[in-house]
Amino acid sequence: MTSTLLKMSHICKSYPGVNAVDDVSIDLYAGEVLGLMGENGAGKSTLIKMLAGAEKIDSGEIYIDEKKVDINSPKASQDNGVSVIHQELITMDTLSVAENIFVGQLPVKKATKLIDWKAARKKSAEALALLHSEINPKSIVSSLSIYEKQIVEVAKAIHKNAKVVVMDEPTAALSEKDSKALFTVIKSLKKQGVGIIYISHRIEEVFQISDRITVMRDGKFIGTKPTKGTDQKEIISMMIGRELNQFFPEIKSEKKGVMMKVSDLNINGIIENISFEVKKGEILGLFGLVGSGCLNIARALIGADDIDQGEFHINGKKTSIKNPKNALKNKIGFIPIDRKNEGLTLDFSVKQNLTLQCIDQLGSGFIIQKSIENSIAEKWVKKLDIKTPNIEVKVKNLSGGNQQKIVLGKTLETNPEILVIVEPTRGIDVGTKMDIYKMLENLCKNGVAIVLVSTDVPEILSISNRVLVISNGKIRKEFKKGEANQQELLHEASLN
Amino acid sequence: MKIIGNKITTNMSLFAFLGFLIIVFSFTSEHFLGYYNIISLLTNISYSGIAAIVLTLVMISRGLDISIGGVIGLTTVVVATLYSQPDPFPVWLILIIGLSTGTLVGLLNGWCIAVMDMDPIITTLGAMAITRGLAYVISDAQSILMFEETTDFISNGTIFYIPMPIILFLITALIFSIILHKSKFGRTIYAIGANEASAKLSGISVKPVKIILYVLSGLAASVSGIILIGQTSVGMPQHGLGTELEVITAVLLGGTALSGGKGTIYGTIAGVLILGVLFNGLTISGVRYVHLQIFQGILLLVAVATYEIKTRNEVAS
Repeated sequence: MTSTLLKMSHICKSYPGVNAVDDVSIDLYAGEVLGLMGENGAGKSTLIKMLAGAEKIDSGEIYIDEKKVDINSPKASQDNGVSVIHQELITMDTLSVAENIFVGQLPVKKATKLIDWKAARKKSAEALALLHSEINPKSIVSSLSIYEKQIVEVAKAIHKNAKVVVMDEPTAALSEKDSKALFTVIKSLKKQGVGIIYISHRIEEVFQISDRITVMRDGKFIGTKPTKGTDQKEIISMMIGRELNQFFPEIKSEKKGVMMKVSDLNINGIIENISFEVKKGEILGLFGLVGSGCLNIARALIGADDIDQGEFHINGKKTSIKNPKNALKNKIGFIPIDRKNEGLTLDFSVKQNLTLQCIDQLGSGFIIQKSIENSIAEKWVKKLDIKTPNIEVKVKNLSGGNQQKIVLGKTLETNPEILVIVEPTRGIDVGTKMDIYKMLENLCKNGVAIVLVSTDVPEILSISNRVLVISNGKIRKEFKKGEANQQELLHEASLN
Repeated sequence: MKIIGNKITTNMSLFAFLGFLIIVFSFTSEHFLGYYNIISLLTNISYSGIAAIVLTLVMISRGLDISIGGVIGLTTVVVATLYSQPDPFPVWLILIIGLSTGTLVGLLNGWCIAVMDMDPIITTLGAMAITRGLAYVISDAQSILMFEETTDFISNGTIFYIPMPIILFLITALIFSIILHKSKFGRTIYAIGANEASAKLSGISVKPVKIILYVLSGLAASVSGIILIGQTSVGMPQHGLGTELEVITAVLLGGTALSGGKGTIYGTIAGVLILGVLFNGLTISGVRYVHLQIFQGILLLVAVATYEIKTRNEVAS
């Protein structure tokens, strides 16, 4: 029988206001693939960051080969044989394959102490051969495909004699063929006794490749099942852990005429022939896995990214949306996915953030009139119940939920008729989620058309009137409310 | 309250440092606190101070302009050359052409940076070389004498015993502190510098704002150039050599962040004063010019190091 390669025991990590990882224990055996699953915000990434030495553990222990290790830096993690292949690959694109594989440890010639390129290339080729890859060690990494870059990262791990390899969403950007090739690579790593933690949202894939599956939810360990002894339904219900409707308000609103019509939206290589309508008072959900193109559609709707082709009709009138300013003029509001880097100006105060989209309205002339500014800010703090000592506090000092309310308030101040929202409740507490859903309900009642992009399955199924499933940049299926359950939605989204 | 507290302590420590320098120099030189020395000190800092005030806005937007010195040189040469023609334009027109010189350079800088998305340091470094080079070409590397009433008044005239350059500096400081701290435009400058992505998504037109800032910076440099002509009665390509370094040092000393989004006009005024007092005090205490440069370099590094340490502490807490 194989031995325990890695044991993470009672790991805890909290950030201000959030228990990101709460008493989680996992173990990994040599030569096995452990699927790690959970919704966004379940705490998988935080757990892996602690294993990689990128985040400090609050409490708990890590054992490698049954010996307690202290991982307090990325180097300590690597020295203990852990290698993490991140979703956003961190290859050094301007260097050669060999330099990437040997990063920082290129072999030197004994006599001259200069780099021994021949040896470096030979050893690189050997590591790549173990992966059945024919990438030339001399190639510059930027010329490689995403799959080949991943192989370079795996080769780097092999070269470092990694015992534990973590792969975070490795297939998100891969074609089916490349995904299959990657699985072959994973199998050969298994044979060499490497333990692999495989993180993916694509449930079919995890069932195909893993030996056991560990599920996390809301920062907690939910359970580990042998893959052969469970099924997708069980894993999904472990991931979600709550029944629909249990927690979502029933959004009732009258749907009137078409507010916005999108026809033949194309961004070359990213989205293809996207057409849909959204009515006044309707919530239209767009659901897709990472890299599906949902986010690009949302950004195109507000003119944040250039499109190659496509037409927008608002209230029946053909409209072009060139940039976000233009979108605002056309009464399109936007809540971006990344609250900290796109939604807010962290160094600005609550007041300054809430009035950023409506600077022009802060007084009739050139000067900002403080009374107007204050009253707008106070209005939203009250209306959205934003918990802040006062409106002069910098938003970076507030909790995620309150920050998200500020993003919402800032957009609503412009009285949008169409609201494009991306992951409105990611990483925020249950109470604030409820507040936000209620706000959306009110908007619908007032005839606002909402386009909701979310990867939160229960959320999108519960609050949308219709859901469009996007995969590979195309609309794959449309579900009316109540037509699809969570499994079906995930299933459709993971098809290519 | 915490924010206001921080602002006060930053500016307080700057003015405390300024006070410290003044006390030290009042001991090392009996002339330092004399009336004439103080007036001459203030007059001397005014011309670079004007450029520093405007550069503060550029740097808050996360930009930089190192073509300032070159623009100063070019402006003095353009103005003096036009004036020394056998049948010169009227002076007001010559001055407008002089001011347009910097404005045009600023427009080109702004276009490259905002529209072409070129790096501000490299763009304005190129502009610095081009303007300086043009100044040498136009003047044939000669100094061009210019004794003229208007420029003389701008540089050496007084109103209520206050020299004109000081008045111009104060007016510039007042106008730009209103723009920066009170106006809608000022708010967009901070928003762009603090987080350009969020500013864009909030519907702010980033490109025009950036272009305007570089235009203003070029214009300010030309104003500095015109003051310098009056002070020296000569237009020459070497005018303003190294001024960009002085100006950038003053702005950084004043607490403006290289990473954008932070800075005040008050801080920059403090920075300009510190640099002016240090140069003046060291000079009248007998330190040679070549040594002054070393002090300036050290001050620049200290300013940046202080900022880095402060940021690190903020992140840690």
